[in-house]
Amino acid sequence: MAERVFITGIGMITAIGDNVAGNLHHLRLQHSGLGYSQYIDTIYKDVLPVAEVKHASESLFPLAGIPVKEGYTRTTLLGLAAMREALQHAGITDVQSAPTGFINASTVGGMCDTEKLYFDIINPEKNGSFLQYIDTLDCADCTQRVADIVGFSEHIATISTACSSSANALMFGARMIKQGLLPRMVCGGTEALTRFTLNGFNSLKNVDKQFCRPFDQQRTGLNLGEGAAYLVLEGESFARANNSRILAELSGYCNTNEAFHPTSPSPDGDGAYEAMKMALAMSGHSLEEVSYINVHGTATLNNDVSEGKALERLFGENVPLFSSTKPFTGHTLAAAGAIEAIYSILAIQHGLIFPNLNFSERMEELNISPVTTLMEGYPVNHVISNSFGFGGNNASLVISKYEG
Amino acid sequence: MEELKKKLKEQIIEALNLQDTKPEDIDDNAALFGEGLGLDSIDSLELMVLLERQYHIKVEDPREGRKILQSVQSMAEFIQSKQPA
Amino acid sequence: MAAISPQSTFEGDIFSAPMVHTDSNLLSCIEPDYKPFIPGNSLRRMTRVLKIGLTTALKCIQDSGITTPGPIVTGTGKGSLQDTEKFIKEIAEYKETALNPTPFIQSTYNSVNGLIALQQKCTAYNNTFVHRGFSFENALLDSMMLLQEGASHTLTGAFEEITKEHFYIKSRIGFWKEQPTDSRALYTHFSPGTIAGEGATFFTLTGTPSSDSYAAITGFKMLYKPTAEKLSVALKDFTTAPDLIISGRNGDSTYEHYYETLDQCFQGIPQLPFKHLCGEYDTAGAFGLWLAGQMLKAQQIPQQWFPFSTEHLPANFNSILFYNHFYGEQHVMLKLERV
Repeated sequence: MAERVFITGIGMITAIGDNVAGNLHHLRLQHSGLGYSQYIDTIYKDVLPVAEVKHASESLFPLAGIPVKEGYTRTTLLGLAAMREALQHAGITDVQSAPTGFINASTVGGMCDTEKLYFDIINPEKNGSFLQYIDTLDCADCTQRVADIVGFSEHIATISTACSSSANALMFGARMIKQGLLPRMVCGGTEALTRFTLNGFNSLKNVDKQFCRPFDQQRTGLNLGEGAAYLVLEGESFARANNSRILAELSGYCNTNEAFHPTSPSPDGDGAYEAMKMALAMSGHSLEEVSYINVHGTATLNNDVSEGKALERLFGENVPLFSSTKPFTGHTLAAAGAIEAIYSILAIQHGLIFPNLNFSERMEELNISPVTTLMEGYPVNHVISNSFGFGGNNASLVISKYEG
Repeated sequence: MEELKKKLKEQIIEALNLQDTKPEDIDDNAALFGEGLGLDSIDSLELMVLLERQYHIKVEDPREGRKILQSVQSMAEFIQSKQPA
Repeated sequence: MAAISPQSTFEGDIFSAPMVHTDSNLLSCIEPDYKPFIPGNSLRRMTRVLKIGLTTALKCIQDSGITTPGPIVTGTGKGSLQDTEKFIKEIAEYKETALNPTPFIQSTYNSVNGLIALQQKCTAYNNTFVHRGFSFENALLDSMMLLQEGASHTLTGAFEEITKEHFYIKSRIGFWKEQPTDSRALYTHFSPGTIAGEGATFFTLTGTPSSDSYAAITGFKMLYKPTAEKLSVALKDFTTAPDLIISGRNGDSTYEHYYETLDQCFQGIPQLPFKHLCGEYDTAGAFGLWLAGQMLKAQQIPQQWFPFSTEHLPANFNSILFYNHFYGEQHVMLKLERV
């Protein structure tokens, strides 16, 4: 029997908070992190809403716990801030105290900084300290800088499967534990807003000029966000021997590919259906036991139809309470899976169902609507968290209340 | 109008890199998407970019885009309707 | 297995194919005709590394004879550089308006995986690792775990391209030799930096050997930024007396000492370096593994590719130790055995 995998530490930074407590505070108050960018150099600054972390990169250094230095991208700094909290929360003062792996996720690496320097970098006449950013463009840079600062020397990896990246990082880490390769893994993702990505999604004509409206008939697209989140995963035997404080169990997961279209999900949500069904089967829990679904819910025309159909197909008449928390955080791409996994844990710990902000009109294609007001004192035992990405990459996680 | 349609066909072939297609292969009224030329939703975004770059016409609503991009004929008519007489 | 590389590895007999060489410090892939593999309507939008990656994957599936698609796991350090560069430039040129989405979509690191899945109608597990010299190796680890978990087979590979622009960018931080170097004489030109390369390599992995199998992977270890001692201990613990060593040696004097550690640990065992064939890139290790697989199955060494090798090479070999590192950071050792 493979080891059960427990979550023993969480850390995050998003537009609604610099740490887990800050995030919970604003979730409870129903304060959205959406607004207009202070820091991206784009003509869409005042046109397209984003959920930006409320610090200039320079002021992220203290949160990251390092002195101001060239070569540290916003992606790395956000990652470090979340990593520090996750380790502290798990009571890990030295990651070398037990063999610990690090699985990170990133979609565009340090593009947030390199895009500002790119034309200098390719210009032989320009020289200067910007050259220190050359190697920050790739996705491994942020992983290795975080690893080197906090001291990971065992297994490290970076995953990039677009919007499902950090859900896949969590899955990969959990599988390594179950195979007995390492007893403890830190998994998640980091994402900084970039002009590159904003223009990318805008060229696909799926960015909303208003604050995004997941599962609403009038929705026209997503809003991007930034942030980072990491979860400490421990195998059961290690967690018990270590006397770790167990927050929740990662009881199921599944990754499937839709093989439908390079960027769009299938209209009936085949991939989403399969991912949720298989993840739940792995957890050993029934459809009726699912208390809440933190949906991918990007508010693009296609995602919400596809995901909604998948929910109706899987759960029939009894679709559980569900909401998208993207109107709080924006779509944080590589970080989204880990951020929403932490929200799922918060839902379990505090008996909360978070509202799907900005919803007013049910979609004509669906018979279901998301939760629109904060529900407190609601028993939450099993949560499904969905992350679906480009290339048809679908990942679902099942997070369960720890009951011994 | 004929001139515009001919030019449009050449531009479509270039923009979408339709290597084995010649302008005369494209019927004015043939469907660009699905059966006809076999284009997909990414091509439709690229054709909207073509309209913006070559004719300075911006199509905001993807639903409206679908109507305009039905055929070379519909595209040409739309371009003409937007140009000062 | 299948490989598109700077050598004639995609078609024909590698044991007679002449060696391709360059003195430009950049080895580019020999591109095949893609049309037999990819429908014209799909091909028209695809940039180079997408075509190279997808075609190699499809050829690998053909080579394996497996018809039911399984999990697809890949590694790439840089993904589609052409598309990334193009999108950055178009953002500037068109001042963030009227942008084609294609370069953005294709710059996404998992776009090749998505295309393989789409073309194969494959709905199984799909993952992409993007971690420099650990990109392919993590894909390999993931695949081996999938086999352990019960998958009957996986499609596992890597793809990388080098563009002129990226070659220049990396030259600014000393990745390449400053003097034009004949690739055939790479190992005698000790100076900082090496030569650039690119390629795509795919493998079908199964948990059970067959008469068609190329090799068995019987040992696998990754080490991140090890000290010389740690590397030495790990190498000695890893295996004893392989018949042959395939090493990632690349003439870069800055990181040569790691290969010297390898020499010390395995004195007297013949070594074949492979970077003069494919150049250095994040996922060059996949090419080295492919070469080892070819040799183990054929029990033959493509002698024409190793004209400088004066050492006595064994006529038969049952085990190969593969060791490679990427700029001293990601170190990989693999043990391969004849099936």
